[in-house]
Amino acid sequence: MPGVFALLPEYAGLEDPVAGLRAACLDAVAWLGRDVRVLADAQGRRVADHLVGCIGDAVDEPSYLVVGNGSAKRSEKAPGHLDERAHAFDEALGASLRAGRPEVDAALAHELWASVEGIARMRDLGDLGTAQVDYDDDPFGVQYWVMRWEW
Amino acid sequence: MTLRLGRHEFADDATLMMAIVNRTPDSFYDKGATWAEDRAFERVALVVEQGAEIVDIGGIKAAPGVEIDAAEEKSRVVDFVARVREAFPQLVISVDTWRAEVGRAVCAAGADVLNDAWGGADPELVDAAAEGGAAIICTHTGGVTPRTRPYRIDYDDVVAAAIHDTVAYAERAIAAGVSPESVVIDPAHDFGKNTFHSLEVTRRLGEMVATGYPVLVSLSNKDFVGETLDLPVGERLTGTLAATAVCALAGARIYRVHEVVETRQTVDMVNTIAGRRPPRRAIRGLQ
Repeated sequence: MPGVFALLPEYAGLEDPVAGLRAACLDAVAWLGRDVRVLADAQGRRVADHLVGCIGDAVDEPSYLVVGNGSAKRSEKAPGHLDERAHAFDEALGASLRAGRPEVDAALAHELWASVEGIARMRDLGDLGTAQVDYDDDPFGVQYWVMRWEW
Repeated sequence: MTLRLGRHEFADDATLMMAIVNRTPDSFYDKGATWAEDRAFERVALVVEQGAEIVDIGGIKAAPGVEIDAAEEKSRVVDFVARVREAFPQLVISVDTWRAEVGRAVCAAGADVLNDAWGGADPELVDAAAEGGAAIICTHTGGVTPRTRPYRIDYDDVVAAAIHDTVAYAERAIAAGVSPESVVIDPAHDFGKNTFHSLEVTRRLGEMVATGYPVLVSLSNKDFVGETLDLPVGERLTGTLAATAVCALAGARIYRVHEVVETRQTVDMVNTIAGRRPPRRAIRGLQ
């Protein structure tokens, strides 16, 4: 799931600009076990801690919550404006996530404002198998995914 | 405290737009534009669409002019209140009157609020509000006679006078049987005040808010704005909104206005800056 600050309560407006994403994230987090290990950068951890805290009951299976997202340069209105390389980068990263074997070009990710620190650490978990994709969209020019793996 | 305006309740942090609807041929701003009943009704429909929670229906202009007796005032407002009540059941209906006789008649027709712009000139108005289950707006005028302009009026401390008189009026209303949740105070800009007085009550409005009573401000296009900026009626919106912003920051709850949309935006913006209201929809930098 992406580390979107708009998911945090301190940035709540009267209307939720990420309602669909929030629902997908909460469903996915509720599906995790009680013993959640977070793979994320510092900002992603803030979002993860909040969402995990929103969930009451959970099973006792150890699990991982990975926070990251694709490029933030997918359109002229995107936070980082349009970079022509963004869509190809996200397609490749998304395909590797779906396959359960994330491959990250860290240097290009940095240029395209993609948050991949947590995603890069997923490789330590081995082959995760095919993902269930709950959310795949770029509503603000930033590529978001919510995916689940069970292995 | 929850604010109860007749049939309607509002949360502690709600700010409300009270749109002015004149059933007069000669009010200073609209100069009779809604004198005809159908024009006034169209104005009600418009301000409801614009988001006003309250309409304030008046049958007599505030400034000196032709004598309008109670019978004539009632003929201008009572049936109109009943028509608005039927058409807009969710709307708070306020009537701008100082007369108890008129107050009783409009409450029977469906009014929720008696807006006494003249500071309790008719001592029985509080009884009319209590009997009718209506809220009452308690204003400060310095004791002037209704429909007179201030002339060399002076105060040691205009804000202290406004607090003293409006709180005394509020306590008198509660003693008469008006619910404490239905009492609002209003410093009454320009009424019994020169421009310097109105500017001072604007600057120190927080002291009125600190009384705990909800505060109404009626700033719209008034002379204190006109004199401050040397602008005629019709060119005072910017000044009105600046004064509105100051009152909003101080915590005013109800805004009696000609321009609903502009005032709502101003009040919402200020209250959001003050941290009392979230932004409507925030995503910039948070994607």
